[in-house]
Amino acid sequence: MNRNLLTIIVGAVLVVIFALLLFVFQVRQSEVAVVTTFGKPTGTYNQPGAYVKWPWPIQKVYKFDQRIQDFQDKFSENYTADSITLLTSVYVGWKISDAGQFLREFTGGSVPAAQTMLESMLRSAKSAVVGKHPLSDFVNTDPQKLQFKQIENEIESTVQDELLTNNCGIHIEFLGLKQLGLPESVTQTVFDRMKSERQVLISRAQYEGEAEAQKIRANADREANETLANARAQATRIQGEGEAEAAKTLPVFQENPELANFLLRVNALQQSLNQKSTLIFDQRTPPFDLFGGISTNTPGR
Amino acid sequence: MERNIQKNGLVNLVAAVLIFIAAFVVTYYVNSLAGQACSIFLGLGVLVTFTGWFQMRLEENERLEKLEVEEFARARGETALFEARDAEAFPAQRAREQFEKYFVPGFGVLLFLLEAGGAYLLWRWIAKTTDGIVPDRAMPSLSLFGIFALLLFLLGRFSVTIARLENFRLLRPGASFLLAGAYVCFFTALGIAGVKAGFPRVDFWLTRALCALLGLMAAEMLVTLLLEIYRPRVKGRVARPIYDSRLVGLLAQPESLVTTAAQALDYQFGFKVSETWFFQLLQKNLPVLLMAQLLVLFLSTGVVFIDAGQQAVLERFGRPVGVLQPGAHLIVPWPVDKIYRYRTDQIQTFDVGFTPEAQNAQAGIILWSVTHTREQNFLIGNRRPALVQGGNTDTNDTFKAPPVSLITVSIPVQFQITNVFDWAYQNADPTNLLQDLAARKVVQYLAGVDLNDVMSSNRQAAALELGAQIQAAANEHRLGARIIFVGLQDIHPPVAVAGNYENVVGAEQTKLAKILDAQAEAIRTNALAGAQAFTDVARAQAAQQQIELSAFAGAALFTNRIAAYEAAPSVYRQRAYFQMFPEATANARKYILLVKNTKDVIIFDLEDKIREDLLNLNVTNSP
Repeated sequence: MNRNLLTIIVGAVLVVIFALLLFVFQVRQSEVAVVTTFGKPTGTYNQPGAYVKWPWPIQKVYKFDQRIQDFQDKFSENYTADSITLLTSVYVGWKISDAGQFLREFTGGSVPAAQTMLESMLRSAKSAVVGKHPLSDFVNTDPQKLQFKQIENEIESTVQDELLTNNCGIHIEFLGLKQLGLPESVTQTVFDRMKSERQVLISRAQYEGEAEAQKIRANADREANETLANARAQATRIQGEGEAEAAKTLPVFQENPELANFLLRVNALQQSLNQKSTLIFDQRTPPFDLFGGISTNTPGR
Repeated sequence: MERNIQKNGLVNLVAAVLIFIAAFVVTYYVNSLAGQACSIFLGLGVLVTFTGWFQMRLEENERLEKLEVEEFARARGETALFEARDAEAFPAQRAREQFEKYFVPGFGVLLFLLEAGGAYLLWRWIAKTTDGIVPDRAMPSLSLFGIFALLLFLLGRFSVTIARLENFRLLRPGASFLLAGAYVCFFTALGIAGVKAGFPRVDFWLTRALCALLGLMAAEMLVTLLLEIYRPRVKGRVARPIYDSRLVGLLAQPESLVTTAAQALDYQFGFKVSETWFFQLLQKNLPVLLMAQLLVLFLSTGVVFIDAGQQAVLERFGRPVGVLQPGAHLIVPWPVDKIYRYRTDQIQTFDVGFTPEAQNAQAGIILWSVTHTREQNFLIGNRRPALVQGGNTDTNDTFKAPPVSLITVSIPVQFQITNVFDWAYQNADPTNLLQDLAARKVVQYLAGVDLNDVMSSNRQAAALELGAQIQAAANEHRLGARIIFVGLQDIHPPVAVAGNYENVVGAEQTKLAKILDAQAEAIRTNALAGAQAFTDVARAQAAQQQIELSAFAGAALFTNRIAAYEAAPSVYRQRAYFQMFPEATANARKYILLVKNTKDVIIFDLEDKIREDLLNLNVTNSP
C-alpha cells in the first residue's frame, strides 16, 4: 500500500513536471521570447515570468537574450584622409529591439548570423568614416584635437541607418574604437624612424658631452692662468715693495761713501771669485808680495 | 535446425556489412558527425557478427567431427575407443579450442582498442571541426538512416529472440549489435532531423553521447578481459564469449536489465547470486527505488549552498526575486526557482595590452629589450625631437611618415562586482564589455599623449586617470562593477626599438661622464694654479722680507764699520782685503809669477785652450 502510494506520488510529481515542461515556458528577466504557432509568430514576451503554450509541434518558443550583446569586428586596414594606412577595430554593443522581426530576418533567430551581417555593415561604415579623417584625428599629442567620439558617432549612425533601412530588429547601443595599429611594413618603418630619433639623441648627448667637457677644460685653463697671473703680479708688487723698503737704508751708506764703495767692491770681488776661476798673480800682489824677499831660481855656483 | 543458425549468422553478417558500408557512404554524403559515430558502431558490429559466425562454424565442425567419430566407433563396437586418445585425433575440436584460447581474447583486446580509440579520436575530432550537416542532403539521408534502422531492427529483433536459446549463444552478440545499431541509426536520423529543424547543436551533442557510449563499451571490454583471467572455470559449463557485450545487450533489450545483471553476477561468481534474498528484494522494488531516487533528486534542487565570496540571483519563473548571500538556502525546487551565481567579493583581473605567458612568468628580470609577454603595440602621439624639427618648414613633405610612435603597455585591471543585478541583467557578457571599455580608454588615452611624457613624468598620473575613465565608462554602461586598480606596470617602447632607448640612456651617461671628467680636470688645474699662485706670492713675500732684512742688517753693519774704518782706514781696508782673499780664492786655481829671476826665459802659451768637456760635445746641424 505504502509502496503504491509512493509510486503514485512520485509518478504524479513527474507527470506534473513533464506537463509543466510541455505546456509552460519561462522567460527570464534577461530574455525575450517569441512564440510561433505552426511557424507563424503569434506573441512576444519580454517580461519575466511563466507563460502557457501549446506543446510542440503546435507552438514553438524562441528565446533571445534581450541584454546588450557585445562583439568586436576584425582588425582591418583602411586609408585615412591623408593617405595613411591604419588598422582599426571597433566593438559594438547591440541588442534585439524587435524579437519577432529578428526571428524573421535571421533563420531561427541565429545570433551568429546577425553578428555576421552586422560585421559586414560595420566594416563598410568604418572604411567610409576612416577615409574622411586624417591620422591626426586618431593620434595626436594634443588631446583636444582627437576626434574619437566624432568618428565613433559617425560609424554608429551609419550602421544604425543601415539597420533601420533593413528593419532587422536590431539596435546599436554603443560603439567604440578598441584598437588602432599600423600594417606590419609601416610598423617597421615607424620602428626605423624611432631608432633614428634615438640616434639623434645619442649623437646629441655624445657631442654635447664632449663640447661641455672642452668648455670646462678651457674655462679651467683660463681661471688657472688668471690665478697665476694675479699671483705673479702680486709677487712682483711684493718684491718691489721689499726693494723700496730696502732702499730706505741707502742714506746710511752715504755717511761714508768711500767705505761703502770699498765694501761693495770687496763684496763684488768675493762673489765673482766664487765661481771656478784661474788667477795669475805676480809677486807684487798682496799677500804674494811676501815672495819678494825670498830668493828663487838662483843659479848655483 | 543447426544449419539455420549458421545461415542466420551469415545473413546477419551480410546485412551488417552492407548496412555498415551504406551508412558510411551516407555519412560522408550528408557530413553528419553522429553518422560517423554510427558507422564506427556498425563497423564494430560487423567484426563481432563475423567472429560469432566463424566460431559457430568451428563448433559445427566439431560437432560433425564427433558424430563421425561416434559413428565410426559404433560401427566397430569401440564406443570409448577415442575418448582417451590424443587431441590430434580431433582436429576440429582442437581448432575450436585454439580459437577460443588465443583468438577470442586477442579479438577482445582488438575490440577494446577500436572502441577506446574510436571514442577518443572522434571526441577530439568533433571538438575541432566546424563542419555541419549539408542542409540540402539532410532529408534523403534522414530517410536512409530510417531505413537502416528499420532493417536492423527487424533482423536484430528476430535474431535476439532466437538467440535466447542456450545453443544460440554465439548468435546473441551479433544480434545485439544489430538491434543496438538499429537504435543508433534511429538516433542518428533524429540528429539530422534536429539540425534540419533548426537545432544545429543536436548533431554535435548526439555524437558526444555516442562517443561516451563507445567509451563505456571500451571500459566494459577492459573489465571483462580482466575478470576473464580470474573467472572460475566450471567443467562442462559453456563459456560466454568475451565479445558478447552486456552493455550492447542492455542497449538492445533495456527490459532485460535485471536478467542481464543476474546473469552477469551468476557468471562471475559461479553460483546463483540472482536467487539470494537481497537480489530478489532489489528486483521486486527496483521501480519504487528508482522513483524514490528521482523524487530525492527533484527535492534536492530545493536546497542550494552559496559559497563564500559569491552571491546568487534567485529567479522565480524567470523573474528576479532576490539575492542569496553565502550559506544554505531553501528554495522552490526546479523548474520554479533557479539561481545564478556570481563571484561578487572576489577581485577579478583582466589584462589590457598583453597576454601573460607561462614560460616567461618565472623570469626574474623584466627587460624592455626581451619579450616577457605576448605584447600588443599601441599607437601613441610623438612630438618630434627639437633637433629633428629643423629644415624647411615651408614644405610638408619633410615628414611624410606617420607622426606617431608605437608603445607597449601592460595594464592589469582589477575589479569587483558591486551590483549583481546590473552585472547580470544589463549586458550579455559584462566581463568582455568591461575589457572592451578598458581597451578603448587605453587606446584613446595613449593616442593623445606624448611618448616620452607618458613613459616618465606622467606615468602615475596616467594610471590614475585611466582608472577614473574606465570607472566612468563602467558606470555609464551600468555594469555594476567597481574598478579597484589600474596599473601601468609596464610601459615601454616595443622590443624592436627598446635597445635604442637604452642606448640613449647610455649616451647620456657617457655625456655626464665626460663632463665629470672635465670637471675633475678643471678642479685639478685650478687647484694647481692656486697652489702655484700661492707659492709665487709666498716666495715674493719671502724675498721681500729677505731684501728688507738684508738691507737693514747691512745698514746696521755698515754703521758699525764706519767707526772701525775711520779709526784705521788703511788697516781696515787691508784687513778686509785679507779676510776676503783666502775665502774668495779658495776654489780658484792660482798661478803666481815671480819675476825676480830675470835670466830665465819664461814662455807663456797664451793660446786659448778648449775645455776637455767641450771636446766631447756632440754638435748637430740645426735647420
